[in-house]
Amino acid sequence: MVDVVKADKLARSVVEGPTLMTGSIPRKSWMDIPVVFKPGNYCYPTNPATQGYLDRQPGVSFPNVREWNPEDEDWKLQENWKEIIINGLAERLDKFRSLKIFMDCCVRCGACADKCHFFLGTGDPKNMPVLRAELLRSVYRQHFTLAGKLLGKMAGGREMTTAIIKEWFMYAYQCTECRRCSVFCPYGIDTAEITMMLRELLHLVGVGINWALGPVTNSNRTGNHMGLTPQAFKGNIDFLCEDIENLTGIKITPSFNRKGAEVLFITPSADVFAEPAIFTCMGYLLLFEAIGLDYTWSTYASEGGNFGLFTSNEMMKKLNGKMYAEAERLGVKWILGGECGHMWRVVHQYMDTMNGPPDFLEVPKSPITGTVFDNAKSTKMVHISEFTADLIYHGKLNLDKSRNSHIRATFHDSCNPARAMGLLEEPRYVLDHVVDNWFEMPESTIREKTYCCGSGTALNTSEIMELRMRGGLPRANAVKYVHERHDVNTLACVCAIDRATLTVLMDYWVPEVKVCGVSELVGNALVMEGEKRQELDEGLRTMV
Amino acid sequence: MKLADALQNKKEQILSLWVDRTLDSYLEPGFFKKSKDKFANPVGVNIREGLTKLYELLLSKAEQAQYAEPLDQVIRIRAVQDFTPAQAVSPILELKWVVKQVLSADKDTRPLLAELDSFDCDVDRAALAAFDIYMNCREQLHKARIFELKSGNFILSDAGCPSALIRKNQQDKSQIH
Repeated sequence: MVDVVKADKLARSVVEGPTLMTGSIPRKSWMDIPVVFKPGNYCYPTNPATQGYLDRQPGVSFPNVREWNPEDEDWKLQENWKEIIINGLAERLDKFRSLKIFMDCCVRCGACADKCHFFLGTGDPKNMPVLRAELLRSVYRQHFTLAGKLLGKMAGGREMTTAIIKEWFMYAYQCTECRRCSVFCPYGIDTAEITMMLRELLHLVGVGINWALGPVTNSNRTGNHMGLTPQAFKGNIDFLCEDIENLTGIKITPSFNRKGAEVLFITPSADVFAEPAIFTCMGYLLLFEAIGLDYTWSTYASEGGNFGLFTSNEMMKKLNGKMYAEAERLGVKWILGGECGHMWRVVHQYMDTMNGPPDFLEVPKSPITGTVFDNAKSTKMVHISEFTADLIYHGKLNLDKSRNSHIRATFHDSCNPARAMGLLEEPRYVLDHVVDNWFEMPESTIREKTYCCGSGTALNTSEIMELRMRGGLPRANAVKYVHERHDVNTLACVCAIDRATLTVLMDYWVPEVKVCGVSELVGNALVMEGEKRQELDEGLRTMV
Repeated sequence: MKLADALQNKKEQILSLWVDRTLDSYLEPGFFKKSKDKFANPVGVNIREGLTKLYELLLSKAEQAQYAEPLDQVIRIRAVQDFTPAQAVSPILELKWVVKQVLSADKDTRPLLAELDSFDCDVDRAALAAFDIYMNCREQLHKARIFELKSGNFILSDAGCPSALIRKNQQDKSQIH
């Protein structure tokens, strides 16, 4: 017998602990595997100053302000933390019928199990949506069902412990609430709402992340995530207008906080501030100029995004409310919304019962084509892609596709517009008319089944870069395919978080592909009256 | 039988064991092993493809530069997963163990075990190249973090409150006077 290197011996020479060389991967029940926090696998907890500020705001509550570290054994929870959690769960089961149903109706068919990008990127069973929900369901069973109360673990129940709090924190922040799993659930369980409940419960004991509460705080103070003051917000847009004038010879002077404008335009603040989103913003500015839209920006409702959605329903309501309060103050007829992701989920799924209906607004009607947007009859808010597609359909735009000849695009359906509002055809229709070459990714990775960027729901923070890269792998893998097959060099999307995070994701997985907004491509292709356009080999991104 | 023929004849068996053991490094490997759909199962399929190509290159005595592509396909994934550096690149080294395991199980191929030195060297070279790729990936991750910091997104969480800044400004002024 030849002296073969023993696998376990070799493994020990490489590293201690479970490795594939030993084959000694622990195969325990999920309930018996504790979570381990280490740099790179968790988001930084909320800065006490930020949390304290929010806790002092009316209508919202963020108690247990303190310094704490997920890597420490002691998370400094309140003494009666367990009572707080169980009461909090009881209150939510009473308030949200959907939660009660989701807790009871799962039959563990497993249809969702392999649909989550975090499971596909990690192979961690607790990232299977069914099991992520089980983290909460087991506690629900123990405390709120007869079987659980009598039989405990035998009935799948679990006594609430601090280890479970830690587990919730780990996995509620390894879910981007993208809802891909829900598409496959025969019962329509919205696992995103289970994650939302987990996060709400965690906030009751002061367990939250800075990247969610930071933007929430900024939005509450200055109106936008970036914390831009009104002056800075206006200054940035003026700066973009200067760039547009240099590139195209078109002078644009947008209005701010103008009472009596027909339309209020709201977009994520990243569009006026961060690359590559600013090019999308230049696209909006050019489009509105081309059609002579009577619109205004607001420096108060200067954020489409709503990180309240990732925090608590009260916070979401408050941040959403400011958009409508501003629309009422300015006396506009309706709201036009930019390329944002979760803003549309809030507007389409929650706004009406939180802050609506906004009867002081009118049913949106395009002043250019006369089209009445009946689909937005209730929320009074129209998506820029719907608006643009309608303009194109009625021949109101002069578009030259050859101005995008440097682009070979593919389209990423951003999770929320696709799954929460059914915006599937409009961006594609726009792309058909502004770019000659664009190619779909494989069917199982687009439209309702689109894969998440891996960084939504306030997970777009840099301390978890590895987690974001593995979560975004399924998306990047499909982009790589169209890049190799069709030489695609541009990933178009309709979400500001996508524009920022897919850029980083592409740099890692498919560096040949750049990311843009659909409206940037519209801006590139627009032929404007009176333009003195330079040779723009890279459209609005050309350095002149 | 020559060693090259044996490695060719046993290719399926070797690859099957090698891929299975590599995928066993994940907590829940069942789906990764089972699904053949590249878009539904990017980890499983890419690792299978990468290891298969690498094995073929090793058999054809390819230039080392050619290892880079299939190695990247495997290591780029493992570099961002919950592995130590050693765990991330160890599947490449484990091929030596797998080959010996398979060849020693068959009496016809058992005598060839003594001839594996050169093949083992090639595997070692591939493993070293894998480590280079791993480091390159990690470097990229850190650059991505720096890029995000530079792009100003940090303002998201670190921005000062304007009214607090004004107050501070006034305090500073009053201290000067």
